[in-house]
Amino acid sequence: MKCSIEGNHVKAFGKAIHALARIGEDLWLDPLEKGLALRAVNSAHSAYACFLFSPLFFQHYSPRLSTQTLGTPVKCQLAMKSILPLFRCLATIERNVNRCEISISSDENWVVFQFYCRHGIIKTHNLSFQESEALQAVFPTNLCPNVLKAQAKLLGDIARHFPTSQEEVTLAISPVRVTLKNYYEEECDRAMYTEMSLHPDEFDYYQVGIDSHITFCLKELRGLLSFAESHGLPVCVHFGPSGKPVSFSLDDMPLTATVVLATLEERTSDPPSQTGPAQTGPTYRWVPRMCPPYPVHPPSTVHRPPCGGAPSAPASASPAAHDGPHESPVLAEDRVLSSQASPVFSAAFHLRKLLDLQNPSPPWEEAVPTHNTDAEAAAAAATATTPSNNQTTAIEDMEAESICATTKMAANTIPATPLAAKVMRP
Amino acid sequence: MKFRSKMIDVGCLNHFTRVVNTITKLNKTCVLRLTPDNLYFVLSGKVANGGVSMWCELLQVNFFDEYQIEGVSPDANEICLEVAPENLSRALKTAQNAKSVKIKLTKKHCPCLTLAAELPSLSSVSRVVTHDIPVDVIPRRLWHDYKEPSMPDFDVSIYLPPLKTMKNVVDRMKNLSNFLVIEANLSGEMNLKIETDLVSVTTHFKDLGNPPWGDDASQSRSQSRDPAAMAHARLDIKKLLQFLMGQQVNPSKAMCNIVHKRIVHLIFLHEDVSLQYFIPAVA
Repeated sequence: MKCSIEGNHVKAFGKAIHALARIGEDLWLDPLEKGLALRAVNSAHSAYACFLFSPLFFQHYSPRLSTQTLGTPVKCQLAMKSILPLFRCLATIERNVNRCEISISSDENWVVFQFYCRHGIIKTHNLSFQESEALQAVFPTNLCPNVLKAQAKLLGDIARHFPTSQEEVTLAISPVRVTLKNYYEEECDRAMYTEMSLHPDEFDYYQVGIDSHITFCLKELRGLLSFAESHGLPVCVHFGPSGKPVSFSLDDMPLTATVVLATLEERTSDPPSQTGPAQTGPTYRWVPRMCPPYPVHPPSTVHRPPCGGAPSAPASASPAAHDGPHESPVLAEDRVLSSQASPVFSAAFHLRKLLDLQNPSPPWEEAVPTHNTDAEAAAAAATATTPSNNQTTAIEDMEAESICATTKMAANTIPATPLAAKVMRP
Repeated sequence: MKFRSKMIDVGCLNHFTRVVNTITKLNKTCVLRLTPDNLYFVLSGKVANGGVSMWCELLQVNFFDEYQIEGVSPDANEICLEVAPENLSRALKTAQNAKSVKIKLTKKHCPCLTLAAELPSLSSVSRVVTHDIPVDVIPRRLWHDYKEPSMPDFDVSIYLPPLKTMKNVVDRMKNLSNFLVIEANLSGEMNLKIETDLVSVTTHFKDLGNPPWGDDASQSRSQSRDPAAMAHARLDIKKLLQFLMGQQVNPSKAMCNIVHKRIVHLIFLHEDVSLQYFIPAVA
């Protein structure tokens, strides 16, 4: 991958990295045909962010080098600690940097950031990366009953009323009012409670399908809000009942950004068997998106073994097995067919159950969307030719399966299992 | 017990916020006394504070448009609450451009001071932000701790030098020593001294002026006192600095009363707020 960002946009790129830094410890760089995607997920897998820069954002952009005709573009996982300092001082970047060039060479394990600054100074940074699976989350925003669209300034004003240390807030929506309250995990006697109430007129778009209240982590969202405010962009909020994830997205011509946050399940008398860690109780997990079309296979068959020797969860052979499913986020332009066609796809609900399962007997709905997604994404991304026989076989299998009756896939339990089975086939 | 009040004027709101911010910088908790005419922020000189005590008096009419109070009982028509000024400060911070701010005493999960700000909004209906600040009601039997402090029988009373200068001087001195000696006389001279094994530094201020208290007792005292004789007190420098740093507005009058080797009494007067701070001397 090679791309070049000109002056003003370098600051925007840096701001995006700041926003992503709020979410997770690692940054995933994913050069796609439709643009460069920067993604981050938090350690509890309850928050996910993706910034997609379309080719228009760059002076020039090529997802793969001419030498690399086969195979998919390299996907990198960088430590946030190594990339954030490059963009830490945005004011300096604005003043000094004329151009920034980013390239991922196919031979070495470096991502090279070159800043062409004033006075002819060129700063080159080589950051080592781990090759990894693409990290994506599927979140069908078109299925969300509640949609709000607000100017960034409005959301920024609202967020300002809560102290920066405030972890979580509860957003309650009804046809006449939207309320935001701060939320404490335990009943806290000495804590100050803040509540803010707004009228629907203040929003650019206000759709209430069902009255609901969702509790999510405000801290992780602040990065996106600050980005939106600095660019004066409106933010769309898609959500449903409590427990289902909430998505905050913004859309500017050359770039789109999405943050998906898990919401706290409303406490019933029986807490769900799988209660995650305290506040950002992950009632929502990420399904490993098997697309890029090559299925999961042991690191040795990958062209470049992951450096550092420690494959992180998404990069490892069977992500579902130990880290829980990773869901793919469907971005506006990248709506996978299944998410639009599938009538009963419900991310959080199904994924939670997926995680719960150690024994194979899941309801059929779970398998369907996952595999549909994968299969169809695989079909959709057919442009990426697969180098090894292994992969080709697997893809064919997947495509074949998609044509077959869904009941066949239903027999498969956890996503990893069937794919592992494919891999083992010679 | 009932308390309801409303502030409409933005200037008053800002002023009130500044006062609360000043109090916030002094201590984590303080006592708020509400009477029909005044509001008092009180810090009593307990050991936990290092013996420092504070008395801040606000005239309620200068801030609130509406003010209703029903105290503990008809003969003791006041309310005494323990509150964390930081919470109050945070709540006020977000209400700076509010159309109106209502403060009232409520009982939610615990007794609370509820601050409801009506903010201007893009639509016809204004935004309402509500902050519930938890408070502790102080029972009547403990009220004696929070009475207005009496003016000590001071030896010297002097106007302070410009706050900014004094702040800077003390700030520099804090790096050299933990204790500072403040001394002044009735000729308008004041010295700030620090002394360590290695170094001693003195800053001299002249022509400061002495406030004419006009009280019989102090008058006679000051008449008999040698104008050049210095009264001094040794203070913990951090306490003095904390007080000076917290001041957000230049007071119209800033005075210092020194009781020789006992206590330093600082008085800051603004138009509608008076702030008194007592720092005990250390040996």
